[in-house]
Amino acid sequence: MEALLLIAILAGVYAGLYVLNHKTPIPKGCEDLTVSCGGCRLTSCERHPTHLMEGSKI
Amino acid sequence: MELLALFISAVFINNVILSRFLGICPFMGVSRKTSSALGMGGAVTFVMVGASLSTFAIYHLVLDKMDLQFMDLIVFILVIASFVQLTELIIKRFLPPLYRSLGIFLPLITTNCAVLFVALQNISQRFNLVETIVFAIATSAGFTLVLFLFSAIRERLDLADTPLPFKGNPIAMIVAALMALAFSGLAGLV
Repeated sequence: MEALLLIAILAGVYAGLYVLNHKTPIPKGCEDLTVSCGGCRLTSCERHPTHLMEGSKI
Repeated sequence: MELLALFISAVFINNVILSRFLGICPFMGVSRKTSSALGMGGAVTFVMVGASLSTFAIYHLVLDKMDLQFMDLIVFILVIASFVQLTELIIKRFLPPLYRSLGIFLPLITTNCAVLFVALQNISQRFNLVETIVFAIATSAGFTLVLFLFSAIRERLDLADTPLPFKGNPIAMIVAALMALAFSGLAGLV
């Protein structure tokens, strides 16, 4: 019971911080920041260059 | 002296990337330029130290007291993810220049297994608070060092006359293997 309560509290904290973080506006001048990732075989990674290609279905 | 030995072993001998093969994703993906590598290294250092302190406190003040030590893995994952969100929030709000340099790397660090490794290792090795901080700083320093070295080599390899089948990731893998061999030669240092 205590374990479930602890997990619920931590998950709630994470969810709250996630929402607050995404509501916080990005500072001016930082809108177009990208990581210079060369891309590996993990196409599921959101940073993979294939995600930036137009018409990409990944 | 023991702290110094711990520091040197975490940076060189038991390097998190080349000896333990953790944090390989950013190692391969964010090491094309030295500037990106340094930015990633700085972000990892910040998160690793902060997450180590947070998880250390939560383990000893909550999990150990409530006899819930078996939950360390799931709790640490949630704590690290929350810490990264909090860090990004604070940097966006109050430190825009810092966000410009390393904010973009923070979401990548959430799933970096090296951070979770350090948090779990602090507990399994029964480190005290000072040892926890030293181990976190040393591991992140070793991570940054290897990332920087690898990025410098890759920058040169991009200009070198590499055979076509080896261009890109294949030659990078070979370089990583050679670096791991070189670092394994430091085993008798401490």
